[in-house]
Amino acid sequence: MSKIGNAIHEIHQMDTLAARDQWVNQIHPLVKFVLTVGYIMTVVSFPKYDVIGLAGMVVYPVALFLLSDLSFWDSVKRLRLVLPLVCFVGILNPFFDRNVILIGGIRMSAGILSMITLILKGVFSVLASYLLIATTSIEKLCYAFRLLHIPKAMVTQFMLTYRYITVLLGEVNRITQAYSLRAPNQKGVHFKVWGSLAGQLLLRSMDRAEDVYESMLLRGYQGDYGYMRERIAMRWQDVVYLAVWAGLFALFRLCPVMLVIGGLFI
Amino acid sequence: MSHIHIDVENVDFAYENGKPILTDVSFHAAENDSIGLIGANGVGKSTLLKLLVGLNLNYEGSIRVMDIPVEKQTLSQVRSRIGYVFQDSDSQLFMTTAYEDIAFAPRNYGLPEDEVQKRVEHALRMTGIEHLRDKQIYKMSGGEKKLVSIATILSMTPDIILMDEPSIALDPRNRRNLIRILNSFEHLKIIASHDLDMILDTCRRTILMSDGKIIRDGETKEILSDRKLLEDNGLELPLCMQRPADK
Amino acid sequence: MHMADALVAPAVAGTMYVCSAAAAAYSIKKVRLETDTKKVPLMGVMGAFVFATQMINFTIPGTGSSGHLCGGMLLSALLGPYAGFLTMIGVLLIQCLLFADGGLLALGCNIWNMAFYGCFIGALLIWKPMMKKGMSRAKIIVASILGCVLTLQLGAFSVTLETMASGVTELPFTTFVATMQPIHLAIGFVEGLITAAVLVFVYEARPELLFGASQAERKEGRFSFKKTLAILAVAAALIGGLLSLVASSFPDGLEWSIERITGSTELEAAGGVYQAAGSVQEFTSLLPDYAFKGSESALGTTFSGIVGCLVVVALCVGACYLFKFFRKKKAA
Repeated sequence: MSKIGNAIHEIHQMDTLAARDQWVNQIHPLVKFVLTVGYIMTVVSFPKYDVIGLAGMVVYPVALFLLSDLSFWDSVKRLRLVLPLVCFVGILNPFFDRNVILIGGIRMSAGILSMITLILKGVFSVLASYLLIATTSIEKLCYAFRLLHIPKAMVTQFMLTYRYITVLLGEVNRITQAYSLRAPNQKGVHFKVWGSLAGQLLLRSMDRAEDVYESMLLRGYQGDYGYMRERIAMRWQDVVYLAVWAGLFALFRLCPVMLVIGGLFI
Repeated sequence: MSHIHIDVENVDFAYENGKPILTDVSFHAAENDSIGLIGANGVGKSTLLKLLVGLNLNYEGSIRVMDIPVEKQTLSQVRSRIGYVFQDSDSQLFMTTAYEDIAFAPRNYGLPEDEVQKRVEHALRMTGIEHLRDKQIYKMSGGEKKLVSIATILSMTPDIILMDEPSIALDPRNRRNLIRILNSFEHLKIIASHDLDMILDTCRRTILMSDGKIIRDGETKEILSDRKLLEDNGLELPLCMQRPADK
Repeated sequence: MHMADALVAPAVAGTMYVCSAAAAAYSIKKVRLETDTKKVPLMGVMGAFVFATQMINFTIPGTGSSGHLCGGMLLSALLGPYAGFLTMIGVLLIQCLLFADGGLLALGCNIWNMAFYGCFIGALLIWKPMMKKGMSRAKIIVASILGCVLTLQLGAFSVTLETMASGVTELPFTTFVATMQPIHLAIGFVEGLITAAVLVFVYEARPELLFGASQAERKEGRFSFKKTLAILAVAAALIGGLLSLVASSFPDGLEWSIERITGSTELEAAGGVYQAAGSVQEFTSLLPDYAFKGSESALGTTFSGIVGCLVVVALCVGACYLFKFFRKKKAA
C-alpha cells in the first residue's frame, strides 16, 4: 500500500526541510508557533463576503515561501485532505445563499463570495501550518509547547509518538505488503484476519513499549524527562519578527489596506 | 578483589505462574572479564541479563553488583553503573536525534549541560559516529542505530556493559567496528550472542547455557572448539573453526 | 471527520479548546503520570500504533469499500479513558501538523469530537459498565460496536453544530444533520466491527492487557456510573451553552455578515466592500477619500481593492528579495 510509503516519505521530507539552515528556521519556535496560530485566527475571522480583505492575507505565506526558499508546489499536496471537505461545505453556498451583492456595479452572488472566502481560508490555514512545520523541527516545537506550560508528560508522550510513528508505519507497511503478496486480488485486509493482523501488531507494540520503558529506566529515568534542557534564547530579531507580523495581521484585519493602496494607484 | 564485579549465586527465576526460566545459576565476574553468554534460542540468556540490571526482580537467590544486592531500593545505584544495550535498537533509541538520545542518561543523572555535551561528544568519538550527531534516528541504517545505542550507554561512563545480540543485523564492516569498540572497553562486559565468531574475537571467557542452567563456564577458546559440547546444546562450531574440518 | 481550520470561527475554536483542555487537565490528574512512569512510554507507542494502523484498509465484506480502526475506542479499551484521551491528543496533533489532517485552530474541536467522545463516552459509559461483571467475546463485540457508533454519532453531530455556529455554511441545519448522521452511522458500525476484531484478538491472546480486566485496576479506577453521567451532563450543558452563546451573538449567519459588510442589514451596493473592511470606523475617516479617486463609480472600490492586493503582494515579494539579497551580502 503506497499510502503508507507516502506517509513515511512525507515525514522524512518535513524533517529534512526543518533541519535546513535557513534564516526562518532559526527564528524562535515559540514566535513561529504563536504567529501561525495568530495568522490562522486572523484569517478565519474575516467576514464571509470580504474576499478582498482576506486576499491581502496572502502576503504571509508568500513572504515565508520566499524567505525560507520552500517550494510552493511541494505544499500543494497537503491541501488534498482539507480542500475536499471545505469545498463540500462551501460548494452548496451558491445554491442556498441566493442573495445578490452589488460589488462595483457587478452583481455578485453572495453564495459565490462566501464560497471563495471559505476556500481561501482553507488554503491559507493549511499553508500557514505547512510553513510552520517545514521550518521548525518537532523537538523545537515541543520546546515551545513546554514554554506554553503544556505538561511535561504530555510533551514527552507526543515526542515518543512522533518517534515511533515511523517505526510502526514501517511495520504496518511490511505486514500489509506481506499480506497482499499472498492475497493478490484483495484491495484491503479480509475481515477474517482483521483481528489477528492488527492484533499481532498491537501486542508487538505493547511489548515494544515495555522495552522502551526498560531502556528509559536503565538510563536513569524516574518520571522526569531530561530533554531539550538547552535553552533556545529569544533574540532581538525574534521579537522584531513577531512584532512586525503581528502588526501586519492586525492592520490587514482592521483596516482596508488593499483599498488604500489600490486607491493610490488609480 | 577489585571493586567492579558481579556475583550471581543460586539464582532461580520464573515469570508469574510460568515454567522456570533459570535454575540454579551461579557465576562470578570480575573487572576486566569479558564474558560471552551463549546458548540456543530461549535458554534464558536475555532473562539473565535483565536480572542483572533489575528489570525482573522476583528472583530467588542472590545477585550482587559491586556488593550491592539488586533489589528495588538499590536499582538506581546499580543501574548507574551498568550500561545495557538492547537487542532491538529501535526500542532503545526513543529520542528523535542521536544527540538527544545519547544525552538522555547524563541529563537524567543531573549533570550540567556543558558536562552532558562533553560526555556526548566523547561517546560519539569512541564509537566513531561524530557525523551522526544530529541525524534523525529513523533515517539511520541498522548498523548506525546499533552504534548510537552503544554510544547512549557509553555516555553514562558505565563500569559494566551488558549486550544482547549486538552484532545482529550488522554488515561485515559495522560488525568489525563493533568488535573494535568492544575490545577498547576495558571494564567488565557480558555479551549474549549467537555470533560465536564475534565472541571468539571479543571475549576471553564464555558461559554456555542450556535450558536455564549454566552448562559450562570457562575459556572461550576451549568451549568454542568443543564441537560435541556445542552440538549437544543446540549450537555449532564458530565458522572460522568449521572450515579446516570440512576440508 | 477532521474539521478544517476554515470551518471554525475563532470563537467556536476557542470554546472547544477550553473544553478539550479542561478534559485533558482532568485526565492528567486522573492518570497520575508523575507516579506511574510506565504510562508515558506506553501511551507514546500506542499513539504511534493507532496512527499507523489507521492506515490499514480493512475490506468490508460484500462491498468494494474499506474501513479503518476507531482509535479512541481502542485506546480506551487498552489504556483506560484518561490515558487513552491524552494519547489521542498526541495522535491528532501529529495528524494536523504533519499531514494537514485537521488544523491547528480546529484541533480543540477535533480533540473533542473524536478523542473525548471515544474515550469518555465509549469507555466510561459503555465499555466499563459492560465489563464490570467479567468480560466475554460477545460483550467485547457489542461494546465496541455500540461505543463506536455512539462516538461517531456524537462526533458528527458536534461537527455539524460547530460548523453551524461558525456560520460558514448556508446549508440548513436539518439538511446538514440529515446528511452527516446516517453516513456516520454506517462508518461507526464498520469501525466498531474492526475495533471489536482487534480487541477480541487481544482478549484471547493476552486478556490482562484490556482495561478493567485486572482486579487491581478495577478497584483503582472505580468511577460510578452516576458520577460519570453527571459529569457528562455538565460537560454537555456547558458546551451547548457556550456554543449557543456564540451562535446567538451572530443571530443569523447571513444577516450578520451583510451587516458587517454594508453597515446596515439592507443591501447597498456603493461602498459596500469599502466599509466592510473597515471595522474600525473611526480609522477610515482619517484616510483620504481614496476609494473614489478618479472615478465616482462603485467599480472603483472593487478595482482599487484588487489593485491594492496586487501591489501589496508585489511589495512583499520585493521586500523579501531585498532582505535575502542583503543577508547574502552580509554573509559574503
